[in-house]
Amino acid sequence: MPAIEVENLRKVFYISKKDPGLAGAVKALFRPRFDEKVAVDGISLRVEPGEMVGYIGVNGAGKSTTIKMLTGVLVPTGGTVRVLGRDPHRDRVANARDVGVVFGQRSQMWWDLALVESLNLIAKIYEIPAARYRELLDEFAATLELNELLSVPIRNMSLGQKMRAELAATLIHEPKVVYLDEPTIGLDLIVKERIRDFIKEQNRTRGTTVILTTHDLGDIEELCQRVIIIDAGHIIFDGPISTIKDRFGKYREITFEVAAGAARLELPAGADVIAAEPRTLALRFDRTQTTASQVAAAVMSQVDVRDFSLAEPDLSAIVKQIYNGALQEEAAA
Amino acid sequence: MISYLRRQASIYGAIAASVPKRFLAFEIWFWVGLVLGAIEMMILVFFWRAVYGQTATLGGLSLDQTLTYILLAQVFAALADQDLIWEFGYNLREGLIAHMLLRPVGFQTNYYVQALASLATRMIMQLPMALLATAAFGLRWPTDLAAWGAFLVSALLGYTALFFFHWILACLTFYTTEVWGLGVLVYGLTRFFSGGLMPLAIMPVWLRTLVLAIPFAQSLAIPLNFLSGITPVAEAPATWLFQLAWVIGLGVVSQLFFRVAVRKVTVQGG
Amino acid sequence: MQRYLNLYGAFLGQQFKSYAEYRANFIIGASSTIMMQAANLLTVWVVMQQIPDFNGWGFSELLLIYGLITLSKSINHMFADNLWTVGRVYIRSGQFDRFLVRPIDPLFHLIADRFCYDGVGNFLVGVVLLGAALAGLDLAWTPLVPLYILLAVLSGGGIFIALNLITCVTSFWIMDSVPVTRAIFDNHLFAQYPLTIYPKAVTTLLTWLIPYGFASFYPASYLLGHDVGVYAWAGPVVAAVLLFAGYRFWQFGLRHYSGTGS
Ligand SMILES: Nc1ncnc2c1ncn2[C@@H]1O[C@H](COP(=O)(O)OP(=O)(O)OP(=O)(O)O)[C@@H](O)[C@H]1O
Ligand SMILES: [Mg+2]
Repeated sequence: MPAIEVENLRKVFYISKKDPGLAGAVKALFRPRFDEKVAVDGISLRVEPGEMVGYIGVNGAGKSTTIKMLTGVLVPTGGTVRVLGRDPHRDRVANARDVGVVFGQRSQMWWDLALVESLNLIAKIYEIPAARYRELLDEFAATLELNELLSVPIRNMSLGQKMRAELAATLIHEPKVVYLDEPTIGLDLIVKERIRDFIKEQNRTRGTTVILTTHDLGDIEELCQRVIIIDAGHIIFDGPISTIKDRFGKYREITFEVAAGAARLELPAGADVIAAEPRTLALRFDRTQTTASQVAAAVMSQVDVRDFSLAEPDLSAIVKQIYNGALQEEAAA
Repeated sequence: MISYLRRQASIYGAIAASVPKRFLAFEIWFWVGLVLGAIEMMILVFFWRAVYGQTATLGGLSLDQTLTYILLAQVFAALADQDLIWEFGYNLREGLIAHMLLRPVGFQTNYYVQALASLATRMIMQLPMALLATAAFGLRWPTDLAAWGAFLVSALLGYTALFFFHWILACLTFYTTEVWGLGVLVYGLTRFFSGGLMPLAIMPVWLRTLVLAIPFAQSLAIPLNFLSGITPVAEAPATWLFQLAWVIGLGVVSQLFFRVAVRKVTVQGG
Repeated sequence: MQRYLNLYGAFLGQQFKSYAEYRANFIIGASSTIMMQAANLLTVWVVMQQIPDFNGWGFSELLLIYGLITLSKSINHMFADNLWTVGRVYIRSGQFDRFLVRPIDPLFHLIADRFCYDGVGNFLVGVVLLGAALAGLDLAWTPLVPLYILLAVLSGGGIFIALNLITCVTSFWIMDSVPVTRAIFDNHLFAQYPLTIYPKAVTTLLTWLIPYGFASFYPASYLLGHDVGVYAWAGPVVAAVLLFAGYRFWQFGLRHYSGTGS
């Protein structure tokens, strides 16, 4: 049984329109008018147990809306959702026992309570056996370095501390499926690293299925083998990261440090100069037409090269390209 | 000098103009306010009719006189309302006080202009209540112009005195975070002591003495006594002088309170 | 059920910890509700000094009505105050999403999330009023009397909670339901006095549509030996029906919940 199975999922929001002022309010009372906003427009996907999937897209693409439907918070306008074989809205309580959610910067803890008290309460809500709870608390406190934070009220925590606490609270009932909606937003590199390690560890040891939404592609590269890209409510890509790199990383860049620039260069087909400065020369070439060694050989035969470097295909550059519509172009071609 | 005054007038004009806009932003509250007002008016009318079921006069007032007074008090209920406590509480919580102190307008004057504008706005929004009182409960509006004059002057003086009094209370919000509770507490006190529920004449002497010794009644009961014909207009000048004394006394004290309270913000950083 | 009681205890205990920091606020909050009642009661007291009876009701009898409605209201105020602000506080901020991903009933979660200490003020006022009323009346005391009072207060509380629940569901569409709740809630003020002083329309309203009459007037009448027929015992039924309807309406609203953007 797949962990998540989504068929033709849709969500339409109705936003009431009303003219300003009293007259508008009265009019809206008798003849309400609505704008339709299609946030999720017929997506289908399947996630197997133990997978870690990156779910990305520009702001407003429909990521959070999808996650809310997967967790049973929102009722879909159309289509079906199955999480571990259940309808997450209809079987909300049963579903909730098996899933965990991080909603961005919104804390699930009680603002005025010390972290450990919030966790105790969550343990009660999820009916975690006392011994198991103690065990997990020790484990999480160690891996997320929460020991000094246990007695601190959430309201006194920094963003990074809050997010570490949040992860502990989300995973303490050992959910089989975890949704992380922007878990690293606003965090520094070290905290990010720790959080990624923690998630990886959970996935490795417990086989947790993870759906991760983020604008930081570093998270995706570290954690996910598979990426789903959504745009305006549609899935525009679903596959392994390596495929993206192969398919969309058509161009690569090579930079030379030169003694003196050459007036004109003879280059293999598919290679172009993208920047020529007195001491550096940057080229871009199409991997389907030529290779790095051909380009390097051609340049070295014409100018005095001191050093050169080949850039790794950069996921964020590729994704930017996709967001900008490269995909549509390719589909049209 | 003239240009200075004109500039000041335009600044405070803009402040005053912003008030009705803020009310309209809560338009659903306008309708709900009417429902609540109607409920309260109905309860009071039937309450007093029941009270007079066994007696022709109470405290020297007939049922007609009492009902006229009570209905007028409902129509002019805005005279007893002040928002300073909520305003201060809100501005403190949002950390806006320091911001407002920096504005190039007199801090207290700013709020006084706002209070007058919100009084005017509320009065206009109370028009349906006036209609209800007239149509459903037979309120007969006074026609004596002198009574109206005595009422208006007295209402303005009383409202100003109440403004300063609330200013003093609002300074307490610098020391407590329970603004809501303080607001409701003062609202409850106002309810009774403004005289909106019962003419002062019906109260036993000791209670009336207490009511007159604190400022709540100055803006509602005292002016309404002129309008409803309970107090003769001849007593107006003396009453005005008395109210003026309230205004001056409370005005001075409110300045002192504010100076102490604001130190809490500037020294301890909100 | 047992589980929910335990959970309620846990929630309550935790809140107590965070409330301890705000004790001064608690005192102000509780006394502010006392103040509100005092204004009306003082009015009643002053006039009752000067007239023989109020539409056939004595001072102690009025206190009985007033005490019953205040106690009923305090049940709602203490235990279900969050219904007022579900839209304003929980839905608007997105906190409500949280309740929906936990393995407990979201309505329970909402209600357990806050025990309103201000309501204790109302409760104390109600107890004092009821005590004063009973001291001033000479009822034929049987074991049934305290039981009947308890039942009346609980069903009155149920009516308050149910009406607030029904109106608060509108926040799933309009975000802030406080004005709607308030417009219905304030009708309970009618029921602070004997319904006999009002025209027929008001009595009907308070019996059949917004049945606060069952939280005060009808049980008080019964205790005082007035003949109100089946209305004397209808309170629990009315409360149960309303609570059931309210819960169904809540579930209906939940299906239409659309959260907040982002
Ligand atoms: N409750 C709502 N009511 C109306 N419109 C909504 C609501 N929630 C989301 N939307 C709209 O639906 C679209 C998708 O929103 P969603 O929050 O799913 O985007 P997202 O991909 O998570 O974006 P971000 O990266 O900014 O978090 C947006 O246009 C948003 O304005
Ligand atoms: Mg989002």
